[in-house]
Amino acid sequence: MLFALAYSPQQPTIEQIAQELGSNGLPYSLPIHPNLVHLTIGLFVIAIAFDVVGAFYPLEKRVFRFLALPITRGGFHDVGWYNLLACCLVTFLTVAAGFYEMLTAVPLPGVKSTFGLGGMTTMLWHGVGGVLVLAVIVAMTVWRGFQRYAWRRDMGRQVQWIYLAVGIVMFAVIGLHGTLGAQLAAEFGVHIAADQLLQAGADLHTALP
Amino acid sequence: MLELLPPLNDHNLPWMDTIHPIVVHFVISMALIAFVFDVIGVVWRKPPLFEVSFWNLLFATGAIFVAIIFGQVEAGLAAPYGAARNILDIHTTIGWSLAGVLSLLSGWRYVLRSRDPETLPLSFLGAGSVVSALICVQVVLGDKLIWTYGLHTVKVVAAMREGLI
Repeated sequence: MLFALAYSPQQPTIEQIAQELGSNGLPYSLPIHPNLVHLTIGLFVIAIAFDVVGAFYPLEKRVFRFLALPITRGGFHDVGWYNLLACCLVTFLTVAAGFYEMLTAVPLPGVKSTFGLGGMTTMLWHGVGGVLVLAVIVAMTVWRGFQRYAWRRDMGRQVQWIYLAVGIVMFAVIGLHGTLGAQLAAEFGVHIAADQLLQAGADLHTALP
Repeated sequence: MLELLPPLNDHNLPWMDTIHPIVVHFVISMALIAFVFDVIGVVWRKPPLFEVSFWNLLFATGAIFVAIIFGQVEAGLAAPYGAARNILDIHTTIGWSLAGVLSLLSGWRYVLRSRDPETLPLSFLGAGSVVSALICVQVVLGDKLIWTYGLHTVKVVAAMREGLI
């Protein structure tokens, strides 16, 4: 009875378009999502980091005076705001590209990740986690905008301490989330031509000369 | 002497996972966004964006040296095969060149900012577009090493150790 109820599709839906995909499982040669991820992660981390630098400005200004590097507190907070705004915009594309590429992803069978998860479980966590990370980034951008243009517009320190704390917690969340994504590539071989060819029994001397 | 080196894992690395791709997040995104903010700053006349670009460019320049250090170690352990050998050579050459190019660009920007932080000459935008294009080429080469040739992935490392590639 249990077996009859278990989900057992006759044929994976990817078979319907498999003929149109390359050996990496995509209709183009290099995946887009991992490249947009550079922008999401870089912009988010540097946005928060510069707001931290802006927040501790009174401690740093003596140091910068020795460096012959003229600085303004507002300049640091400008980096914090504009980088986060850019991060917020680009991350919609990152998540969209990620979902498209996940639809054609075929993790190598029988693999357990360093975290002890299977390929499908890792993809589900990474997919749901990606939407949640996007939601937090959007919320933080709105929050940051209110601090900049309304609540703290006349203050030297443009951000609340709790905002910086949430940002630093997000470093850990994004680090964990990114590790799941890295495992999908390096351990499950998702959209990696060499891994998929090896799995299909190809000889890389001839398949990837 | 060899036994003094740390043991390599199933990624053929002495640490959990490749670090170079993590560090290059900061080179790629900071250098490209610096150019984007420069263009927006000039077109829409928003000088505060020049300050944002300056810091992003400075950060990208610092990060590229860290990226090269990890890149060299991980390239040395990558065991490239086929055309990946050639791609890795070009990626290494452009990588070192970019360290010089980004340092020069940062230096030029430092002088421009010291003279007048409110304006940016078009020649700097031109240089920024060339460097951005070079970074895109470098990203495509790095992408090929991982997404086509699977260097440092468990499957390719296993095949390499079995002598299949």
